[in-house]
Amino acid sequence: MAKPVVEKKYSFLDSIYLFEILKGMVLTMRHFMFNFFASFRPGPHTIPTTWQYPEDRREISPIFRGEHMLMLDEQGRELCVGCGMCAKICPAKCITVEMAKVKEGEESKYAGKTHCKNFNIDLLRCIFCGFCEETCPKSAIELGQGYELSRFTKEECQLGKERLLKNYHWAKKNNKLKPKKVEAEQPKDKKE
Amino acid sequence: MNNINLDEYIKVNIGPSHPAMHGTLRVIAWTDGETVMHCDPEIGYLHRGVEKLGESFTYHQFIPLTDRMNYCSAINSNVAYEAAVEKLMGVEIPLKAQLIRTIMCELARIADHQVCVGILGVDLGAFTPFFYLIIQREEIYEIFEWYNGARLTNTFGRIGGVENDLPADFDARWKELKPNLFKSIDETDKLLTHNRIWMDRTIGVSAFSPEDALNWGFTGPCLRACGVKRDLRKDEPYYQYANFKFDVPVGKNGDVFDRYMIRMQEMHESIKIIDQAYEMYKQLPPDAPLMAKVPKIIKPPVGEVYSSHETPNGELGFYIKSDGTDKPYRIKVRPPCYMIYQAFPELVQGEMIADLVACLSSLNVIAGELDR
Amino acid sequence: MIDLIIALIKVVGIWSFTLGVAAVMTWVERRGAALIQDRPGPNRAGLFGILQPVCDGIKLFTKENIVPEKADKVLFNLGPIMFAIPAFSAFAVIPFGDRIIIGGKEILLQISNIDIGFLYIVALGSLAVYGVIIGGWGSNNKYSILGGLRSTAQLISYEVPWGLALLGVVLVYGTFNLREIALAQQGTFLGILPNWGVFHQPLGFILFMVAAYAEANRVPFDLPEAESEIVSGYHTEYGSMKLGVYLFGEYVNITTLSALTVTFYFGSWHLPYINMASFLGDGTIIYGIASFLIFCLKVSFFLWLFVWVRWTVPRFRYDQVMKLGWKSLIPLALFNLFITTLFIQIKYYIGG
Repeated sequence: MAKPVVEKKYSFLDSIYLFEILKGMVLTMRHFMFNFFASFRPGPHTIPTTWQYPEDRREISPIFRGEHMLMLDEQGRELCVGCGMCAKICPAKCITVEMAKVKEGEESKYAGKTHCKNFNIDLLRCIFCGFCEETCPKSAIELGQGYELSRFTKEECQLGKERLLKNYHWAKKNNKLKPKKVEAEQPKDKKE
Repeated sequence: MNNINLDEYIKVNIGPSHPAMHGTLRVIAWTDGETVMHCDPEIGYLHRGVEKLGESFTYHQFIPLTDRMNYCSAINSNVAYEAAVEKLMGVEIPLKAQLIRTIMCELARIADHQVCVGILGVDLGAFTPFFYLIIQREEIYEIFEWYNGARLTNTFGRIGGVENDLPADFDARWKELKPNLFKSIDETDKLLTHNRIWMDRTIGVSAFSPEDALNWGFTGPCLRACGVKRDLRKDEPYYQYANFKFDVPVGKNGDVFDRYMIRMQEMHESIKIIDQAYEMYKQLPPDAPLMAKVPKIIKPPVGEVYSSHETPNGELGFYIKSDGTDKPYRIKVRPPCYMIYQAFPELVQGEMIADLVACLSSLNVIAGELDR
Repeated sequence: MIDLIIALIKVVGIWSFTLGVAAVMTWVERRGAALIQDRPGPNRAGLFGILQPVCDGIKLFTKENIVPEKADKVLFNLGPIMFAIPAFSAFAVIPFGDRIIIGGKEILLQISNIDIGFLYIVALGSLAVYGVIIGGWGSNNKYSILGGLRSTAQLISYEVPWGLALLGVVLVYGTFNLREIALAQQGTFLGILPNWGVFHQPLGFILFMVAAYAEANRVPFDLPEAESEIVSGYHTEYGSMKLGVYLFGEYVNITTLSALTVTFYFGSWHLPYINMASFLGDGTIIYGIASFLIFCLKVSFFLWLFVWVRWTVPRFRYDQVMKLGWKSLIPLALFNLFITTLFIQIKYYIGG
């Protein structure tokens, strides 16, 4: 179990310390000079690697998995039928859905024959895996681009139906809805 | 080892919250001045019962849990698990999915090695290379984000294939990233490798013989640093690895310096693999299938399987036993860190406290993977 | 009476100056590190974040002053004081400019022109170790005591090559008086080079710099506070302004060491090839200010060098520091001393 003894062999330049350290210092100075002059340039994002967060934000991927939203279709009808597939697939078990039949006179509000009376996502449990979005037969739930998820109270972390719809309206207003996967789904249909 | 009287020495408690501890590890060291006479690593601070949880999850639901094992390279863990389930079901995934998995795995491997090398530098007092490396890791994470929307816990792939095609801008991103990756690795090399201080700190520190390494069950870069040429991508090739040309870098002494050098070289090899895989990917028609034909609810036949992949830390194996239902009967994970960390007292005995820290970071022990 | 007032003004002036430099250095360090590492660093407080030290100061002052229950209260409180006093006092003998003559009264730009300035500096340098070891011991923490012990061994070891390297300069100029050493560096050496200590003592300069980094506990010799190994070393248990005093003391130490480097090796307030005294008139106020500014400029370069090196190199290990100190630096310093004396003797016999 004895440890192997390692022979240290240094070349002369390596062994005098200073040569390599000076080489390293030239390298760090190059970085310093570049960033030093870059920091004088006007604008918030002059040093290319850091974003000055609240003012200056990174571009988020269009398919980012952030805060959830309940989708509406073009006519502004709720797509969710309350089937509970998302609740079933969720690994963190953070979704609770309550299904109800659409009452008479309210058909214009909902796309299906049933709808979700209550829809709740527990943000404290959610792991943002995106399975709910993938499994939903009506594409009614999506993970949006909201990433500022800190809240002050536990209750605020329970995303109710209003909050989820609000997220949708916000995303629609700011043009941050996901691009529709029409092209990707078409070849599948053909094969079937 | 057991015949020394520990009461004679100072007991220093390092961790679980200590600047040098990666995650929540704890090492109790008995030191004679600065020399570590004996140390006692304690694990389990990050134990979440992943294996037991797996028994109550369906096969798909387990994928997000594998993200949280080695969070530095979640994709490798995802793929290793999916491959195990596919082996159990006897499914061969389409070529396109194989190539996408390869590309993503190698990107994750680069990211993992970057973190490991960077943190090793930080633990030895050289902060700057860490930032040069981590900036390029951000770019890799951007690719992941554009692929499926998550940066760290990717939940990459599905059983039977992958969920998305490579994003349209992958080509441009990779072309931009590649020279930057070379540059950052080169800069790290310039700052550290031939620096006498760095060489003094790493060469010969916690050296390990290949026999010992094999006996302790080392895999991955730590084993290759000892001089054993074993890489599952070469020895038991999966996917298209048999068709790619790449070298397996091998060290000599198994010390911290060799582990560092192996990781630096493996980053270069990974870039080579991605280039070749991407060339192959471009030959395929754009509407080639991404998923094999698998049922929506996965019910593997009764049986058991052990499948392992080469992750950045070594061999990550999954043993899955199925009873024919949609939930696994038993999942056992063989994390590479667990085997490597066992030898930790052996590795650092007789070294100094500063070397203990260097050794720990060079092993790249990830608490999430270790404790599961 | 006037002498006393002038001395008081100089003391307060230099004290606040070093304090100000130390404060700005915290900003320079953070900003410089950030720019070296491709990030912007503190840039919110004031223009380019220049007010960051003020914010840090306010934060440190307003934090709760915690004394660990099992710490030795007296030593715990004494530690920072013992660390700061030598750091501040060392500046007393360093000339930071030439002189100003007002109404026939000569005012030296130096707090105290004592003849044994060199010995005073070396003596105070040794005292700094008490602050570290007392703080480390008084904290009653294993990391702290390890840091304190490391620091003690390191400071005592590097005192020797540090002093020996400086002895070379003393031999060359033949005086312990720092002002006279500074004055002697005017003119040219061998006809082409400025008559600076670094050209008389190139090896001595390198040894002095290396030892200075060790004296200041800076990377690559920052083992006493090696963050990744022993948390924060001797100031692990300190918080609030006591920690602030330690951190400030470190920067004051750096300032002092940079000033010493300039005084001993880089011609203090002299410009190369230009005799400013004849140019601006010896003793005029404008000459005094100019000499002070040149001195500051040179010091700021060495201050920047401290930051620059820190973010380039890794850290030594404890035994390697000892090995380097005792096996490389001290023999080299002795060799340097030997060569210097040899040359002086040869010069003495040739030149009579």
